[in-house]
Amino acid sequence: MTEESSRQSEPHVLDQPWRIWASVAVISILAAGVLLGVIIIPVVQGSGAGIDAYTAICRALGILPGSPARQQTPDRAPSAPVSQVVWTADVLQILANAKPERGREKVLEVCATCHGEQGVSLAPEYPHLAGQSGAAIYKQLHDYRTGSRTNELMTGLAKALDEAALADVAAYYAAQPKRNPNPVTLATSPPSIVQLVEVGDPNRNIPPCASCHRPGSGGPVETPILSEQGDDYLVAQLTSYAAGKRRNDVYGRMRSIAAQLTEAEMKGLASYYRAGFR
Amino acid sequence: MSVTAHGVAMAYVLTTFFILGFGYFVAVTALNRPLPGLLWAWCAFWMAIIGVLMVVLPIGMGQATVLFTFYPPLTASPWFYIGLVLIVVASWIWCAIMILAMWQWKRENPGKPVPLAMFGTVANAVMWLWTTVGVAVELIFQVIPAALGLVQTVDVGLARTLFSWTLHAIVYFWLIPAYIAFYTMVPRAAGGRLYSDTMGRVTFILFLIYSLPVGMHHLMMDPEHGNGTKFIQVLLTVFVSVPTLLTIFTITASLEIAGRLRGGRGVFGWISALPWERPAVLATGLAFVMLGFGGFGGLINMGYGMNAMIHNTSWVTAHFHLIFGGSVVIMYFAIAYEVWPRLTGREHPSIRLLRVQLWLWFAGMMIMTLPWHWLGLQGQWRRVANFNYADPIIAGWGPLVIVSFAGGLVLLLSALLFLRNLFVLHRGTAAAIARPLYALAVHPPHRVPAALNGFGLWNVLVLVLMLFAYGYPIAQFIIMPSPGAIVHRMSAQ
Repeated sequence: MTEESSRQSEPHVLDQPWRIWASVAVISILAAGVLLGVIIIPVVQGSGAGIDAYTAICRALGILPGSPARQQTPDRAPSAPVSQVVWTADVLQILANAKPERGREKVLEVCATCHGEQGVSLAPEYPHLAGQSGAAIYKQLHDYRTGSRTNELMTGLAKALDEAALADVAAYYAAQPKRNPNPVTLATSPPSIVQLVEVGDPNRNIPPCASCHRPGSGGPVETPILSEQGDDYLVAQLTSYAAGKRRNDVYGRMRSIAAQLTEAEMKGLASYYRAGFR
Repeated sequence: MSVTAHGVAMAYVLTTFFILGFGYFVAVTALNRPLPGLLWAWCAFWMAIIGVLMVVLPIGMGQATVLFTFYPPLTASPWFYIGLVLIVVASWIWCAIMILAMWQWKRENPGKPVPLAMFGTVANAVMWLWTTVGVAVELIFQVIPAALGLVQTVDVGLARTLFSWTLHAIVYFWLIPAYIAFYTMVPRAAGGRLYSDTMGRVTFILFLIYSLPVGMHHLMMDPEHGNGTKFIQVLLTVFVSVPTLLTIFTITASLEIAGRLRGGRGVFGWISALPWERPAVLATGLAFVMLGFGGFGGLINMGYGMNAMIHNTSWVTAHFHLIFGGSVVIMYFAIAYEVWPRLTGREHPSIRLLRVQLWLWFAGMMIMTLPWHWLGLQGQWRRVANFNYADPIIAGWGPLVIVSFAGGLVLLLSALLFLRNLFVLHRGTAAAIARPLYALAVHPPHRVPAALNGFGLWNVLVLVLMLFAYGYPIAQFIIMPSPGAIVHRMSAQ
């Protein structure tokens, strides 16, 4: 009898029911979760929404897209993206492998007449490209080529270039030095304009310009650098964004911002950026 | 930047150093034997210090403004992540030392139950080893290569899933020391006994098995997972409330024993008979109140439909500040007030200011977080620096934001008072502290089943639960790779 009771208090005998019941409890909870979450609820909800049991279970597991409780609404209106540029690893690789010296040949042949050999444009309506972000130049050229952005001169020229040439030209201009900022316009920017650049205007849902356009700010890859840009060009772009004439900005970011700006603010911002502030 | 610094300091630095130090203290005092691998422990300490510097400097330089959750594709300076890895590796060394200390003690004391404080500490160490796998895989295979520029895209769905693996259990890593104090120190401080040693063991085991396969409740509004897998994890999340409810019951029963031993009569008389003037008892009472508010808020978070209402609002911020910043940190204070005199061999000259500090912390946390709950219900989003109060809908938030700010100031005052209390202790009289720290149970265990004296069985069950909860959700990213997001690097290349 004593032997029997001491055997019963041996650790492994004491442990056996724990081992069994703990496992049973945990596995039962898990099984209940699987049964309810993956089978019963999806099948019942699916049958109410006219979805067959197999599809409902696959949706619950995440193998098929969509909710088990609702029909996937088909997209009736065909949507078109505002730009065909997708920043895939392949595209970034093309940009990384671009050759500025090859780009220089193309620039002298095609671009320099308006944008200058060094990227300093010859007329106020053409943007300066010296020191511009390569990704920004590439995206705009690509958009001209696919018709996402239109311009009498640029559309035809961009269509004549292949993708590698776009990247080479972009790399060439990106490598050109920037000019020195103009100290006079720097000093004359009114505080309200500096406020727009640095803080934005939350009342009108205008984010600070610098949150994307300051180099290294972490904005979208294609964001152009605005410092030292010609003010006529900047005003023209803001005006055409505001009027919805230019529409190759992803998510309509610039269209919604420009629509909130007054004419005076557009001019003020343009001269601010001409000064070379980042 | 300041929110990143606050999150990193409070979630990674304060907690890790506190928990490591407390674990070493428990291993030596509860097991009553020297710490194995003392040299390793010091190596881990300095490694963590170097890690902190590597994390803090990039934050200060504005190259790591990614919050402590650092969801890609925004990536910080690689130093930030490598520093975090060092802190995690240091904590792994601690885990190994804790497990080794318990294993050596069990070999020297065959058949005896491991003291509850050490059992809880090792439960935490085992859980932490499981927990950190998710974030370690994310950092090593996704985020650090992206930060170094080795890859240009990152699968953000996979990164969020791996982080969710860590994100809920990390909270229990912070919480368990407070629970160890509830079970082992508070009944003694109140002058009573622990109602049930077994309840304590079961609680720590439940934390181990149910804190891990539940992290997806942080991703309820994420599209990358099916409703079914979310349901399974929500169901398991419900069971996380069980160890907390067990603890509330057991500790309340233990305090009732103390109150009645001190002459309390009637249904509630034992409450007023408790020695509320003692910091550990006061902290427990205040912690329970905050745990109540925060816990019921948490029940809202875990329900799929209700989560949709408060997802990414101040409600969530309020919830984790109440539970972690409130209940857990107030117990950290109480532990520090108990442990520091034993380490330094000095007594607090007066415990009045200790109580004032605890009350201020409680008041500050309540004043700060109750308005956040309300604002969260009104849709105030979190993780932003300011709001546009010119908007008539948002203007109404202003007064409540000011109230919560006032709560923050009270908290700051309390934190400064805490530092003062510890400094003043060094001017206290030197005294050998003879009173025991750990409580005895009403029925001290003489022999417990192996399941309640080790973690072998529970590790197998955790593995099964994790396979079901995270197996397919992670495998789907490999079976059906989604287009990667372009990495945005904050540091100058």
